[in-house]
Amino acid sequence: MIRTSIAAAALVATLAGAAPAPAHAEVPVRVRVIKGARQGPASLDPRLEDLRRQLSPLAYLRWEQVDERSFDLALGKPVFVDLPGGDSVGVTLQERRGDTVTIEVALAARNTQSRLTVEKGQRIVHQVAPEKGGAAFFLTVTAWP
Amino acid sequence: MPPRVIPFQGLVNFRPRAPVSPVEAEDLSLVSKARAGDADAFRALVVRFQRKVYALALGIVKDPDLAWDVAQEAFLRVHGHLAEFEGKSSFSTWLFRIATHLSIDAVRRERTSRKDDIDDVEEADLAGGGEGILSTALGNDPRENLLRRELAGQIQAALETLPEKHRTILVLREVEGLSYEELAERLGIHKGTVMSRLFHARKKMQAVLRRYAGPALARRAGEEEEPGPETGGPRGGGSPRPPGERAEE
Amino acid sequence: MRDCLRFAPMIGAREGELEPAEARALEAHLASCPGCRAFAADTAATDGLVGEALLARANARDFAPFVDQVMARAGAGRARGGVLAWLSRHRRAAAATLVPALAALAFIVYVRLEGGGRNEIALLELASEGEVTMVLQTADGPVVLFGEEHGS
Repeated sequence: MIRTSIAAAALVATLAGAAPAPAHAEVPVRVRVIKGARQGPASLDPRLEDLRRQLSPLAYLRWEQVDERSFDLALGKPVFVDLPGGDSVGVTLQERRGDTVTIEVALAARNTQSRLTVEKGQRIVHQVAPEKGGAAFFLTVTAWP
Repeated sequence: MPPRVIPFQGLVNFRPRAPVSPVEAEDLSLVSKARAGDADAFRALVVRFQRKVYALALGIVKDPDLAWDVAQEAFLRVHGHLAEFEGKSSFSTWLFRIATHLSIDAVRRERTSRKDDIDDVEEADLAGGGEGILSTALGNDPRENLLRRELAGQIQAALETLPEKHRTILVLREVEGLSYEELAERLGIHKGTVMSRLFHARKKMQAVLRRYAGPALARRAGEEEEPGPETGGPRGGGSPRPPGERAEE
Repeated sequence: MRDCLRFAPMIGAREGELEPAEARALEAHLASCPGCRAFAADTAATDGLVGEALLARANARDFAPFVDQVMARAGAGRARGGVLAWLSRHRRAAAATLVPALAALAFIVYVRLEGGGRNEIALLELASEGEVTMVLQTADGPVVLFGEEHGS
């Protein structure tokens, strides 16, 4: 496979254990499983209004919320979220610095992980399953919802 | 006011590796920062590895100035390809792999003869074992560490007598500590070839060192036979008496 | 002597580098061959000398100018990525105007959306393990997509 890659200026990886945080550093998060579909009239589930700007560049026209959970993430301890179809996603707090967190999203079915750093007020949107029949599932993670 | 774009920070869709050592984790952290344009992080990587890269290059190319240039070129190649480093191997392995190939290329550009680069082990290679004089000379006696340092000083001269392939494999084995498998992968050769090249390299090195160690041992033996001051005790002085204890009469 | 041809190259192997049967056979050979035993002893005695010597020479050299020279040479020739080639492969329906901005430090493409151009986002294509991932970095956070094309 021919690889193409672009070096992003501010591509920073924070690795597990790189910066110890206090043991009580739990972060409340809201996790939603959402579905985007190409077909049908354009619509956005009212519960996803906060994601409108983030989702608008994508080709999916119809967005609906499938599941929602809220919990506290403790450093290094994954929480698993079930997906439609039986797969699951692991969400782990890797690091917290003030109002900035690094969260790992691990897709068991694909054996891949992503680590993303966001500030309070931002949300992670991560595709969790390949597109099928013109629809794809995503996971959104909001720290301090 | 347009929304502020925060630069992307993260790694996406990578496969989890086995747990890395703290040193390797720190290297990866510096690499990630360097990829993001953090010049200080890249400087830290250079400073961390510069001497070892230079030592590796020096062993292969022999010339100190050429080794300096090769070492710098290795870091420049790394800098230019940071985006493509996927973390499948450790950063140091990647860096030393580049340094190895640059060193070999530098030598081959100047090489004129290939006749000494043999891999097969033949009966003639087994002769001249020297009866273990080096192990005798370097034994476990701490006094012989001085000889080890003296021999180390002869290493450069000894290395220069080796053909490039033998010199390279010995340097990689000892400076970078590569295993047979890693050497085979690094050099693109079979494990059997690794072993035979190492054999040739060691045999030749030991022959050169033996020429130095023999006279050094003889000198040492001569120093030990000189008569020392009378002590009244066992020959050699024995151990010092504890304070307050009077000598036996 | 024929046995020595087989066993001599095995001398100097570290633990685990020989198959157990090979290691046992080598040990048996060494017990009966003074020549190979002497070579094994000398090999063990000189193990690490080359590494020590080269590192000692490296430590004795003044490396103060090394990193500055590397940084100066690195600054002179920045890493070049195929941004324009990448742009031509990944046009998106939403991108009305493409304004490639080569930042001082690296290559980020800012995609200005239709309808106002107030939402500037960075569109990145990253490769890992042979898989391609698209990341839209917006002010509201990242959107991570698998490498399938979504545009029309």
